[in-house]
Amino acid sequence: MPEYRSYDEEPGVFPYSPDIDPEPSVEPDYPHNPGEDPHHPGDDNPRNPRRVHGKARGGVESIKEFGATQLPEVKSNIHCITIVGQVEGHLVLPPQNKTTKYEHVIPQLVAIEQANEIEGMLVILNTVGGDVEAGLAIAEMITSLSKPTVSIVLGGGHSIGVPIAVATDYSFIADTASMTIHPIRLNGLVIGVPQTYEYLDKMQDRVVNFVTSHARISSAVFRELMFRTGDLARDIGTVLIGKDAVEKGLIDEVGGVSQAVARLKQMIDEKKGKGVPLQ
Amino acid sequence: MILWTPMQLELVFEGLEKMSDTGYRHVCHRGVHMLVEKNSDGGARVARLLSTDPRDYLKAEYVPGNMLEC
Repeated sequence: MPEYRSYDEEPGVFPYSPDIDPEPSVEPDYPHNPGEDPHHPGDDNPRNPRRVHGKARGGVESIKEFGATQLPEVKSNIHCITIVGQVEGHLVLPPQNKTTKYEHVIPQLVAIEQANEIEGMLVILNTVGGDVEAGLAIAEMITSLSKPTVSIVLGGGHSIGVPIAVATDYSFIADTASMTIHPIRLNGLVIGVPQTYEYLDKMQDRVVNFVTSHARISSAVFRELMFRTGDLARDIGTVLIGKDAVEKGLIDEVGGVSQAVARLKQMIDEKKGKGVPLQ
Repeated sequence: MILWTPMQLELVFEGLEKMSDTGYRHVCHRGVHMLVEKNSDGGARVARLLSTDPRDYLKAEYVPGNMLEC
């Protein structure tokens, strides 16, 4: 290390070595024993305990200030997706429509698939139908989830709600809930694309194929319900209420939230049981 | 796009031509996604939760109509 005899010898050069403490008068706030292992202080020379400043969030303050208690942060292992109003796809509907947006639901489904703490998913439907492509996309996503899924139709699960309801591993319908099954072409809307009868027929086939491959109902019975005359006033089609949907093989069981959650828990337990190798 | 619904299309598409901003904003508040209504003095009122965790719906601060604290 070079020695500096005078500050003037090399002007502009800071003459101190960085090895020397700049302020030797400042003491560290607990005695520093260089020979001691800092992780295992000896019994005869324990490290001075230091008080940690700060306060717990919430707690007493919130009770005193607001009269509110802090709920413990618990995350549910069952998450739910609500399909309500119109299923909205490529076109934003006017604001008087309550809508379930495709771009909200799809990332939620991806997150549910990815999150380890989520073990099952409940789909709650009260929908009046909507965009065929968006509805089928949601239904396909639900089908391809690796976690147990249960759906429950409350109120209504009409039109495109039918494939979403049958997409889950098990489906429930409330006693008074209804499902309307009617042909697509009767109120299919033409926007931009010249839609022919054949095109609409193909769209309808996509829906029929999806429903019949995910529910006990056969293609012939589903089409018969779709084109039945006399059941609806201004349209041809069928309204299935509660147990009718179960009898036709569309839905698995009549039930409410308690049955749906119990069934989901049972399926989660079965899946866990399968994952653990038996001794 | 094909709309498949038992609702009357006139009702669904009413006001499509003169459709304006709904006034809702999609925000993420402490990890919970929701739609909020912004008012003139910069506050945000919860309109609809978009979370999938049912416990988020039990939190008093996220009850629809409540003003969000920043």
